[in-house]
Amino acid sequence: MPASKNITFKLFLFLISTDFLETFTHYCFKRSAMPQSGFQVLNIGDAFMFAKISALSPFLWLGLLSVLLTFIIWSTILTKIDLSVAVPIASFSYVFIPLVSMVFLHETIGPLRWTGIAFILTGVILVSLSSKEKEKEAQTP
Amino acid sequence: MRPGIIFIISLIVLENIFDTLRELILKTAINNLKIERYTIKNIIAFILKLISNPWIYLALLFSTLSLFLWLFILSRIDLSLAFSLDSMHYIFIAFASGLFLKEKLGALRWLGTISIVIGIVLVAFS
Repeated sequence: MPASKNITFKLFLFLISTDFLETFTHYCFKRSAMPQSGFQVLNIGDAFMFAKISALSPFLWLGLLSVLLTFIIWSTILTKIDLSVAVPIASFSYVFIPLVSMVFLHETIGPLRWTGIAFILTGVILVSLSSKEKEKEAQTP
Repeated sequence: MRPGIIFIISLIVLENIFDTLRELILKTAINNLKIERYTIKNIIAFILKLISNPWIYLALLFSTLSLFLWLFILSRIDLSLAFSLDSMHYIFIAFASGLFLKEKLGALRWLGTISIVIGIVLVAFS
């Protein structure tokens, strides 16, 4: 079945779920990294020790499981919907992640960072819409 | 800008270079393998061809390096800061695709890339 531009409500829910999963992934990664905030890495031995300590954190594995789940949902979605439609909806994690950081990680986000995030989100949407441009070129031999 | 942020941004650049290399390797590997019809037999053949390609393991190595680098970055700075700065892979991949995969970059993609750059600079100063 060729990928289509028309999005159904069910596909939309799946797409939004990849945003939530990605947010959950990076929340888990952050939680697994937080205890090592004072860990000094000065040589390759330290780097391996850092990797070893991180690998012992259950949060890391929960995050990786979430990555796997995101990948499965994402590759299924892409067989049904155009990339230029899917990516903008899936890029709302650029907003969800700062929100989760504020609420659950008590990070402070000033107006300058929010403005930057708005530019990034706009850029990501424009870049993904440009995959349509490429398709048009491909159709005209 | 807070002190030490330049060092962390350099690490994010390195992490994104690893990601870009991985994407280039995977895209090249996948471009050489086309699935005509999605039957179980074709999918198994696809996976077997994929795992017999030595480049895939290099991509896996880059993924692992990128993951631990990301964890190190997260151990130092806010998630909201790190994740926003991480969007620079859109820029790297756009340039690398143009350079190595000879993909054409249209006006819309340039505009989007510029908007991401502005966003990253604003976030970096926040």
